[in-house]
Parts: sequence; C-alpha cells; structure tokens
Amino acid sequence: MSKAPVTSDIDLFADDILVDAYPTFKALRDQAAVVYLPINNLYVLTRYDVIRAALGDPATFSSVKGIGFNPAVNDALQGTSLASDPPIHTQLRATLAANLTPRKLRAIEEQIVGKAEALVRKLVQGGGFEAMDALARAFPLEIVADLIGFTGDVKKNMLRWGQAAMEVIGPMNQRTIENFPIAGELYGWCSQVTANDLVPGSIGRGIFEAMDRGEIPPGSAGHIIHQYLGAGVDTTIASIGNVVALFGRHPEQFERVRQDPSLVPSAFSEVLRYYPVVHAWGRRVTRDVEIEGVLIPEGSQAAVLFGAGNRDERHYANPDVFDVARNPADHLMFGYGPHSCAGQGLARMEGHAVITALARHVRSFRLGDWAKKPTNVTQAFDKLMVHDVVGA
Amino acid sequence: MKLEVDVKRCEGHGLCLQAAPQVLHHNENSEVVIDVEVLSGEALAQAEAAVRICPVAALRLTPKP
Repeated sequence: MSKAPVTSDIDLFADDILVDAYPTFKALRDQAAVVYLPINNLYVLTRYDVIRAALGDPATFSSVKGIGFNPAVNDALQGTSLASDPPIHTQLRATLAANLTPRKLRAIEEQIVGKAEALVRKLVQGGGFEAMDALARAFPLEIVADLIGFTGDVKKNMLRWGQAAMEVIGPMNQRTIENFPIAGELYGWCSQVTANDLVPGSIGRGIFEAMDRGEIPPGSAGHIIHQYLGAGVDTTIASIGNVVALFGRHPEQFERVRQDPSLVPSAFSEVLRYYPVVHAWGRRVTRDVEIEGVLIPEGSQAAVLFGAGNRDERHYANPDVFDVARNPADHLMFGYGPHSCAGQGLARMEGHAVITALARHVRSFRLGDWAKKPTNVTQAFDKLMVHDVVGA
Repeated sequence: MKLEVDVKRCEGHGLCLQAAPQVLHHNENSEVVIDVEVLSGEALAQAEAAVRICPVAALRLTPKP
C-alpha cells in the first residue's frame, strides 16, 4: 500500500528560489526523498540515492517528452540524444560523444591549457576584472567556437543562443517565452549550416565530413552542432564563474590548491558538487513506480534536483562545507548513467585548465560585488568582481 | 566477485583508473582492461569504488560463478 506523497507549495521556478535554492533544497530533502509540488505538477527527487537510481533507470524515468518543463520544448527536442531512450539513444549518443572522448580531446588539450594560461596571465596583469565576462564567458566561448569551427557573426551569437537553449527548458513562464525566439535562431542556423561555414580542420567540419562519408545519418550533423552549443556553453560558463566565486569566498581552500596542484581535479569536482550549475532536469515516468513507499503515477513528470542530492548529508559528510580535498567524483552534476553529460570530458579539461592557471599565476585576490539573475535552468553568476589580484 | 565492463557504454572518461589502479588500466585506445580476475580485499574495495564513480554506469560487479 503506497503512502500519499508529501507535498510542498513552493514554486520551484520562483525568482527567489532560482537565485538561492539551497535552503529550499534542504527543506525538501528533510521532508522526503520524493516530494510532490502541485504548483509545478512535478514529483521532485531530493536525495542522492534516489536521484542516482532514477538517472540509472531510463526504462522507468524516460527522457522522451520528459526532460523539459513545457510541452513545446519537449516537442522541439524530439529525436535528439538528449530526449530519447535506449536503444535509439545509444546510437545518437555514440555519434554525439564520438568527438568528445578523452582520446579525441587529447589532441586539443594543449591548446585548451595554453588558452587558459594566456587568459589568466593577462587578467593578473590588470590587477582586477569582472570574472564572468573576462574569464567565465570568454574562455568556453573561445574553446567551443574553435572546436566547432565557428567564425564571424555566429561567434557573436553563441552566448545568447547558448543561454536561450537552456532557458527554454523551464516551465512556460516569462523567461521561457522571451527566449523561445532566440533558441529558434540557433535551431534555424543549425538546420542550414554546411561544412563550408565551418573552419577546415575543426571538429565541426569533421562531423559534416563524417556525414558525407555515410558514417552518421543524413541530417544529423546540424543536430550535433546544436547540442554542442546548447549544452556546452552556458553550463561551462556557470561552472568557471563558480570556481572564481568559491575560491574567493574560501581563500584558504584556494591556498591549498596553490600549494598542491594535484588537488585540481578534486577541487573542480567539489565546485560542481557545491554549486551545481543545473537547477532541475525532468524525466517522464513510464509506469507506476514506488519510491520509499510513495507512488509516482505512470505518465507524471519527475524532476531531479542535482543541487539537493549533491548536498545530501546521507551521502556526503558535512555537505555544506566546501573542501577542495573531498574529491567527490561521484557528484551528480554531470548526471549519471546513459544520459550523463556527453561533454563532461571537455568540461573537466576546461575546468582543470582554468584552476591550474589560477593556482599558478594568482597568489591572492578579493571578491567584490556580485549579482545573480533568476534563470530557469542554468545557475550562474551574472557579475562577479575580482579586485586586488596579486600575481604569483 | 568479478568486475565487468560494458564496452558499448564505456566512453573512456577514465575516472575508474584513479579509483581502482590495482584492478584495471586503459589500453592505448582508452579502453578499459580488467587486470584482476577474482576480486577480494583491497582489490574488491577498489572495484566497488570504480563502479560507484563510473559516470556512464559501464562497470558492474557480478558474483564469480
């Protein structure tokens, strides 16, 4: 006999929750592993174990018509790797991930490390900077533009297109409505882009060449480019901003990384655990499923709260402590299982490159004013001032 | 216990290498090669950590028949 679900009358996408979700996540996690939100018509998964189990069970927690929080975006995403289930997903995913395997990425690692070094050294000389524009946005935009082989006008549009592609995953609120036309521009561009629009030798151009050779299905190249841009820009920007914010707020932790650069991978995992960059992600429940005695009915929508699971005291000791030596490599921010982030290898490479460059070239800095805007899905600082930078 | 890798799922992220250095390695194509057939003690603990850490759920422990 199932229990009726615990409910909460919060709006998961209310402005105050979007700019600081942790008190809400803690309250939901304390309530139950599954909490029903009538306002959003969502069953939210709040604890580490149930989130991970759901992500590992795509037969029950389907991505088809389930990842976004409005029907229009789920319709638009149909047929992509993001919004499909195995076995169809398996082939789409392989095509998407083929250029992002660690072996492929090794070819561009030196370039990524070099760009992070050059950028950080330049910023240190200035003595202070606005970290979102000067570092968090500048770096991934350049990396992804090079990777795909973008030039000119397209490069200028990457930031707004990437932001809009994430924003429209939210419920049909004002933010989603305003961003649909911009996400549409990206979709339109990706539908008509050809190999000649992309720089010879780039990975993007290589995807078209693979399509011409019949290695991937006709028409799939544009979809892949769309996903690289839609998923790979906004999220990485947010996480690099969070690196600066957390090192600024915890200078003793930055000092530990400076003293011991072998902590860089652990520190980046801890940044992603502590400040997850994705607020919520949906799944469609394909059958009546009981979790800790609570029934989630077939056809309803569940949402995983990465940030709630990443701070679950049942899984991480002292979860509200930022500890660069924790090495939480099992954090949830790249998801888990068949749909786990296809670009996580690249994201790690970028994150590690930035942290390494900061640890090498910055002795200390002070955080100044910062600002956050409510955004439906990607949780990022909008502005983050860095002052009194002392070079190392 | 025995550690198995689902080669179709493995994408070569390599987190298992840090978790279970005694149990597995990558070949030159970043594919997982299991080095220890029957696991116990420290090797089993490492294998369990590798299963937990694999981001794409490509590793699993099965009872050795």
